[in-house]
Amino acid sequence: MIIQHHPTDELLLAYSAGTLDQGQHIAIATHLLQCKACHGWAQSIENLGGSLLSSLPPTEMASDAFRQLEARLDEPTAAPPEARRGNAFCDMPEVPPFVRRIPVGKWRWLAPQVHLQRLELSEPGDTRVFLLRAKPGVKLLPHDHSGTEMTCVLTGSFSHDCVRYGPGDFDWGDKQNSHEIAIGPEGDCICLIAMQGELRLKGFLGQLIQPLISI
Amino acid sequence: MIGRPQVNWQQAIEAVALRQDREAFAALFGYFAPRVKTFMRRSGASEADAENLAQETMLRVWRKAEMFNPATTGFEAWIFTIARNLRIDIVRRERRGVLEGASGIDAEFLLDDAPLPDAALATSQNEVRIRSALAELSDEQQSVVELSFYQEKAHAEIAKALGIPLGTVKSRLRLAMAKLRSLMGDL
Repeated sequence: MIIQHHPTDELLLAYSAGTLDQGQHIAIATHLLQCKACHGWAQSIENLGGSLLSSLPPTEMASDAFRQLEARLDEPTAAPPEARRGNAFCDMPEVPPFVRRIPVGKWRWLAPQVHLQRLELSEPGDTRVFLLRAKPGVKLLPHDHSGTEMTCVLTGSFSHDCVRYGPGDFDWGDKQNSHEIAIGPEGDCICLIAMQGELRLKGFLGQLIQPLISI
Repeated sequence: MIGRPQVNWQQAIEAVALRQDREAFAALFGYFAPRVKTFMRRSGASEADAENLAQETMLRVWRKAEMFNPATTGFEAWIFTIARNLRIDIVRRERRGVLEGASGIDAEFLLDDAPLPDAALATSQNEVRIRSALAELSDEQQSVVELSFYQEKAHAEIAKALGIPLGTVKSRLRLAMAKLRSLMGDL
């Protein structure tokens, strides 16, 4: 698998620094699971974070800080929360394990042969994340965005503006892009998408069905 | 960069992991708790919150000591990720009013996945190289990179903090990262 399209360095920096919101974080983490090169670079940035932390000037702690902490060292550790109870979860093997631990909504119809399933994030933020599954050969209506959109291809492929995105590829669209997407012929295309703002369909047909598919 | 500590943090954390060595832990606390506190202060925490978060970070260091793996990470990077994940935890709790639980965040940072096959080879070299690469950047470039570690809405906040236009922050950061990447070479 040769990955052609990667997140920018600035996004990887924000990921490793821990300043992305949960939705965008999930999209970058999904790419890192597929891409060793970016994963390695993100770890280098963590090393940089460690180095910066270690060279910060100290801020004085309370005089009894260590004694306070020492009293807590023998406390039993609280059991980790039971994550997978009372919710629906994605069980597609193409989806990374950490995403399969996030509750999901029902599959919804988006367009002929295109369905999506929203992840129910624990952090309400500007970014919504969903899984999109489309049949080979499908063309999506031209659309653009009022915000940014990150797309990770998990399986299959799509192309827009004659550029192909296959498994592991990361596509970052901002509001300038207006794109028409064609799903590749090799099989179902499953993507994880982290989107800010609204998706806006173009053209007569698009405006006709826009109210039906607000995502 | 300020002078670096001479102590071998890796030996200290291994003593904590193997023997619950409190003296070694006290040494780690003495050096890192006040720096984690600075990190939290610069990330926007109040004095009292920063103190608590530094304490909590060190408590997690104690509890997770056995999970520290020198083959995949250096100690400084490891404690940085603990402090960072705790900060994310706090941000999420503020937004939702619910504690995420660090295990959820750790999983989102891939900590439960197998390390990269070449990680052991690269860890110590990588740390040294990224540190000296950072030192090669201009002061202006260093400051945008450093501020990126603290700010929540990164670029706009950095622009405000430095009193420069947003476009300048973005281009400066892009150049800084490109230079770091080229200095890191083929690692």
